[in-house]
This record gives sequence, structure tokens and C-alpha cells, in this order.
Amino acid sequence: MSKTQETEGEERKIVTFTLGKQMFGIDMRALIEIREWEEPTPLPGVPNYLKGVTNLRGSVVPVVGLAERLGWAPSVLHSRSCILVVAIGERQAGFLVDEVADIVAIDGADIQPAPDVEVSEQSAIAGLVRIERRTSDAGEAETMVLLLDLDALSLTRQVMELAA
Amino acid sequence: MSGGDELDEIQAIFFEECAEGLATAEAGLSAMASGDTSSDVIAGVFRAVHSIKGGSGAFGHGALQAFSHRFENVLDEVRAGHIAASADVTRIMLNAFDILSDHVAFAQTGGSAPEDAAMLEQLDAVLAAKGAPAAEPAAECAPAPAADADEFGFTPVMAVIEEFDPFGFEPVTVDLEDLTATELRGWTVRFGPSRAALANGGEPMLVIRELEDMGGTVTHVDTSRLPGLRDLDPEDGYLVWTVGLPASVEEQAIRDCFDFVAPDSLIEIGRDEAGASEPAAVDMPVTVAVSAEPERPALTLVADNVPAAPVAEKPRAEAPAQTIRVDLGKLDQLLNLVGELVIRGSILSDRLSPADQERVELPELSRLTRQIQDNVMSLRAQPIRHAFSRVPRMLRDLMGETGKQVLLETTGEMTEVDKGVIEKIGDPLTHMIRNAVDHGIESTEERIAAGKSAEGTIRLSAEQKGARIIVRVADDGRGINRERVRAKAVERGIIASDAQLSDEEIDGLICAPGFSTAESISNISGRGVGMDVVRSNVEALGGRLEIHSVPGQGTTFSMALPLTLAILDGMIVRLGKQRFVLPLANVIETVQPAPGQVRATSPTSEVIELRGNYLPVRRIGEMFGLPCGNQPEDCLVIIVESEVAGHVGLMVDTIDNRREVVIKSLEDNLHPIRGLGGATVLGDGSIALILDIDALVVPASSKFALKGMAA
Repeated sequence: MSKTQETEGEERKIVTFTLGKQMFGIDMRALIEIREWEEPTPLPGVPNYLKGVTNLRGSVVPVVGLAERLGWAPSVLHSRSCILVVAIGERQAGFLVDEVADIVAIDGADIQPAPDVEVSEQSAIAGLVRIERRTSDAGEAETMVLLLDLDALSLTRQVMELAA
Repeated sequence: MSGGDELDEIQAIFFEECAEGLATAEAGLSAMASGDTSSDVIAGVFRAVHSIKGGSGAFGHGALQAFSHRFENVLDEVRAGHIAASADVTRIMLNAFDILSDHVAFAQTGGSAPEDAAMLEQLDAVLAAKGAPAAEPAAECAPAPAADADEFGFTPVMAVIEEFDPFGFEPVTVDLEDLTATELRGWTVRFGPSRAALANGGEPMLVIRELEDMGGTVTHVDTSRLPGLRDLDPEDGYLVWTVGLPASVEEQAIRDCFDFVAPDSLIEIGRDEAGASEPAAVDMPVTVAVSAEPERPALTLVADNVPAAPVAEKPRAEAPAQTIRVDLGKLDQLLNLVGELVIRGSILSDRLSPADQERVELPELSRLTRQIQDNVMSLRAQPIRHAFSRVPRMLRDLMGETGKQVLLETTGEMTEVDKGVIEKIGDPLTHMIRNAVDHGIESTEERIAAGKSAEGTIRLSAEQKGARIIVRVADDGRGINRERVRAKAVERGIIASDAQLSDEEIDGLICAPGFSTAESISNISGRGVGMDVVRSNVEALGGRLEIHSVPGQGTTFSMALPLTLAILDGMIVRLGKQRFVLPLANVIETVQPAPGQVRATSPTSEVIELRGNYLPVRRIGEMFGLPCGNQPEDCLVIIVESEVAGHVGLMVDTIDNRREVVIKSLEDNLHPIRGLGGATVLGDGSIALILDIDALVVPASSKFALKGMAA
């Protein structure tokens, strides 16, 4: 929903992070907090990408392996692995990501719709945008960021589909 | 713009109050129907209907106001003892109550206005039967529902003029020509807002503007009470305005302006003396002591006006317990914070030695925390009566539609449940009752032929069992016709024609999506959505629906619902590295199995021999995909009692301890997971999952398989 409301030329802030070699971004407004990875409590009978639940200041929040959820190879845990806690509608969810990169401002007009090449159901890419890398290796000054459609990642929705 | 929003908000409050008023009125009327016609009960009903009338006038719901006014007239006479609260009168009033509910619904949501002409006639007949001429003019003068009167430009308050009899007004036939012909005096209104009115945010200017909008002019401002600047308290009210209004303005319209003026303000409304040829009553100001409760501003007003009221300023007989409205979200937040407090408390106690705990008075702190927690919990708990209260009305409607006679027996209505649960069981309950009347209870002839009483009975009950509340709807009707259900399910393609099903499984089919056995689709149920919706609603709440039916004797639907947000007395057990909470209510005993006490009966099932009995044993770890390679002798078997499978042993690695845990629902951020009743945060901040025993011990075949078939 949020993406349709964006007017041309509006500046947005996104949080960028990596999963494997890909760089992803989510709308800054959805971010609640970034926490260090700690093993969540596993749940029975749920899809593999649902790593379990963790305690976020008293509420029980599911932790999703974002890489698996998006169809990539599971993240390998390392010291910079962390959990992005985001709000999806009224609910909260934690996404395991490899490394948080930066917070960048982008222009709404620069977002390109995701090409329809992959019709995979697991795709939750709302659009593509090029950003300049502040921490660039000398070679690559620009990189492509895949913007995630958080609504498509809603756990309830996914489960409803599974049940149907 | 913002004014509109405010009005909407106030309207919303009005409708909430209507709902409360209706509930009070219904409870009172039901009490009257069962023989309790004490004056308290009648007065309670009167007050409830009266406050609905007051608010409806203020918000311009003409039809609602007109109807409640007529209803109130009758109630008033009953209250005064002029009409006996006989069974007939009570029945008529119950029916009138139903129409009143419809009116409220109409005012709130629109749609078509309820048909109330017949009901009004009945009410008038009751009034007429009283025989006292004083009440007659009301009936004669305003026979048409006020909604009609509106077309002639009158607001529906003719009868209010009637009530002014004691002040010397002639019963006026309200006719515009008459009104203009009679020399009418203008109104004089004196208004002096009190300190409380200002403190409540009452803006006198708004009231005065409202009066001006009706053609009023401020003729005088009394500043005599205004102190010198040094003594002036800017928060006090010193001024008294005198406003003149044209004679054509309805008195009620003037009074409406003061509806939201806070207590003890000076409000005097009277006819002008100028040109008075009428008796002394003319200049007698009606002093209005606005009721102490802002939400029922109109009450004392009418007590003043009502001819039958013995003492005009008689205060309300009983002040209801004071309440405030609180946003549920705030309560939830409070509960979460208290939960955090409990958790921090247990972390503290884990870290301190017993001596240190005493030294810092930790036990006292824990006790206080527990009390706060209990109190916060109780804020959200409400008697389930709130959900049951709409059933009697529904039954009356259903009886009318089907011609069946049904008695309702209710038990356990004071069982306290979390408000969230109460809100969500309304729909399932409605469907279950409809289903019971439509499909369960036979027609009177059938019942007599079957040797049963002519009246069917529906028993509605609630009880708390451990961490669950069981709500049952039991009818004494014909029971489920299993052959027909089976045939229908095959026809609908829900099950294969050669499927082998137990009786329970067949009963369960009526909850399958798209199933309906009604041969003709009735108005009530039989659209094939009912029981399906019930089951999904109940399961969405983390509960279970069970059906028990005996052919010829009736059917019982049981909803087992969690008391969400409750505290659970739990046993913390370990499986592998993970900790789980077993509800202590289900635990019977714990057994350390001796070698050979647990035996396999198949590669996947085991039993434990306990004092000569064999009980099934389940390894929870394996059910949750946590393999436990331990020998039974190294484990503990906890014998639990389940609703569905009786006593079952659950194999766990060890038991940690026993403690009260705060249930956190998984649905808040996720969805219900079968086998889990929620989660809790332990003292170290980690999460333990709460086991739902009943879902765990269900024999894997029945329910899961049935679900598969239905889907």
C-alpha cells in the first residue's frame, strides 16, 4: 500500500542490508529496531524460514530467516548477523539479515518497478533503485538495491495461503 | 470540521450508552418477567429507557426519541404503580424493548426504520387500560409516530408539553394555527455556568450561540457576582446570561442546548411574564438541577416534569457505581508493563541469595507486584453475561419466525472472561443458538408426538476449567441425524462415499465448509455458513469446538476457549534444550518410570503401566521435531488429564520448577499454532512455549484427518 502512495520526487529513507551478495532495502519508517542475533525459541510445525519467536520487550515476535523466505540460500550466521525488527501493519516481525549496511535517502521517482521476469510466488520485491555506496570499494561506486514489499512478507498472509 | 469529529465521538459515546442502557433494561425486564417487580427493578428499566430518550433527542434521532418517549410513558406509569406490572404488560414491554433495540440499531447504522406502529398501539392500549384520564391526552394528541409529525415541521416533543400540565398548561392540541392564534409568550432563559462546568471544558459561548441560532438574543448579563480583578479566579464562573427566545421555540429544544452542561450550573427556563394572561405558573421558572452524572444529563429534568413524580427534585434513588471509560489498548499496555515487572522481579530473585532477598524486601515487592497484576487482569475481565445478554432477544425472534416454543436456561453467566474473548464469541454463539432452534428443537407437534414437553429447552452455560472457559449450548431436540449428514456430505463431495467415519466424525461434518442439511433454506440458518463460521471463529481464538449429540435427546455444542491474557499456573519442563510450560491444571501426577514400565505397542506408540492400568504415552519432543534419544528410564512421565483423550502420559526430560506465567498470545504477531496455547517470557528473558494439552493428545487420526477431508 505504502508504495502506491509515494508521489514522484518524494524523498524516502531506506535501510539497506545484505543477504549474501544482494543488497536489499526496506522503508525506514517500518523499522522498529536492529538487534543482535540471538537464537530464537523454535516453534513446531512451521515453515523452515520461520526460525522461531523471540522476546521483544515483553511481546512475542516471530523471527524470519529472510534469505530463505525470499528463496535464497539460508544465511550463515556470523558476528555481524542481526535482526531487523519491523512493523507490518499492526504486527511486528524480526528478519534475520547478514549485515546492515546504511541508511540512505532516495528519491521516490528513482524507484523502478521490479521487472516481471521472475513470477516466483516468493518474490516480495517492490522495486529497484540505484544508490551510491558511501563505503564503496574503489571499483563500484553505485549499486542496485532491491526494495522489499513488507506487506507481501506478512506472516499471517503466508499462513492463510498455506492453509487454503 | 473538527466539530464534526467531536460530534461523531460524542455520538459514539451515546451509542455505547445506548448499548449499556439496553442491557440494563433487558436485564430488568427479564427480572420482571420472572416475577421480580420490585420498584428498584422497574425504576432501573425506566432510567435506562429514559436516558436513551434523552440522548436520542440531543442527537436528533427523532424516531428513536419518539418511540422511547412512548415506551417511557408506560414505564413511568408502571413505576408509579398506576399500571400493574402484570405478565401481559411485561410481555408487551419486552416486545417494546425489542423494537427499541431496533430503533437504536437504526439510528446507529441506518437501514430501514423499524415498524413500530403496532407496538405503539399496544403501548397506548396499556396506557389507556390504566383508566386515568390524565394519561389519555398523550395518546390522543400524538397518535401518529413522531416520524410522521416531522413532516409537518414539528419535532416530536408534543407529549412533553403534555407533561407540563402540573405547571398550568392546558393540554394543547398541537396545531400550528392554534399555536399562533393563542397568544404565546417568549422564553426567558437564565444561564450561569458553574465552576465545574468550566472545569469540564464547557464553553458557555457555545451554548449561547446555540440559543442564538434558534433566534435567541442575550438581553442581560448579570455581572453582580464578578469580583474585583485581584480576587478574580479565572477558572470560576461568575456571569449569568439572560437570553430571550421567541415563543415558537420548543421547550425541549432549549433544554437540549444544556444537555452537556456540567453539574450544578444555573439553568432556568421559563415563559416571559410579558403579555401573560395565563395563570401564575407562567413565570415559574423550571429550575433544573442537572444530574450529577454528565452522561445522563436529562434525567432529573424529567423527574421534574413527570406529573406522577411525587417530589420534583427527588434525587436519583441509587447512584450507580462510578465508572470511567478506558481505551482497551491502554489496558493492554498496562498489562504488558506489569508482565515485564513480574519478569524483572523473578530475574532479581534468581540473582539474589535468599538472605539478600529478605534484606531488600523482595518478597514484599513480589507480593505487591502480584496484586497489581491481579488487579490489572481483573480490569479486562468481564462476566460472560455480556455475551449472553443478546440471546433472549434472539430467541424471541426465532420463536416468532419458527413458531417453536423454547425455554432458555442460563448458568454460569457471571463467569469472568477476558473482554477480548467476550467480543469474539458473540457471532459463534448466535450461530449456535440459531442452529439449535432451527435444526435441533422440533416443532411443538413433533415434540408432543415424541413424548417430550411441548416447549424445547436450550441450556446456555459457561464454566471455567483450568485455563479455559467452556461455553455450552445444549438443546433437548432431535439430535443430529447422522445418516442424513453423511449422505449430504457424500453428495457435497466433502467425504468419499465409502469413507469409514465414527459418529463423532460425522457430527463434526456439520462444521465442514459448504455443508448444510436444511432441506429448504430458511431465514435463520441453513445457508451452510453457520457452523463452519463457528468452528473457524473458535479456532481462530485458539479454542476448540466439540459436538456431542444423542439421537432423540439433543445436541450439545461446547466451545473451549482460552482465557487469554490470563496468568497460568504452570509447570516448566525441559525437552532437549528447550523449555515448555505445562498448564498445572492438567497435571495429575509425575512418574519416574522404572525399567520396563514403559513399553512400545507399535514402532510409534508406547504405553505406561500405572497401578495395573495402561495409559498411552507421548513423547512431546518428537511431536515437535525435537528428537529425544533417551531411554524412558532417564525421562519423566507426566500424567495429564485431557478433555478428549482422558489420562495420557507425556514424556519430558526434566521438570524445572513450577511458577505462574503470563500468557502471551502467539496471534499478536503471528498466528495460532496447533499444540500451543501461547508463549511466555521466563525470568531470564527467554521464551517458553505453553503446551495445549488437549490439542497434543488428540489421536492423530480423527481431527487432523477430518480437517484434511473438509479442505
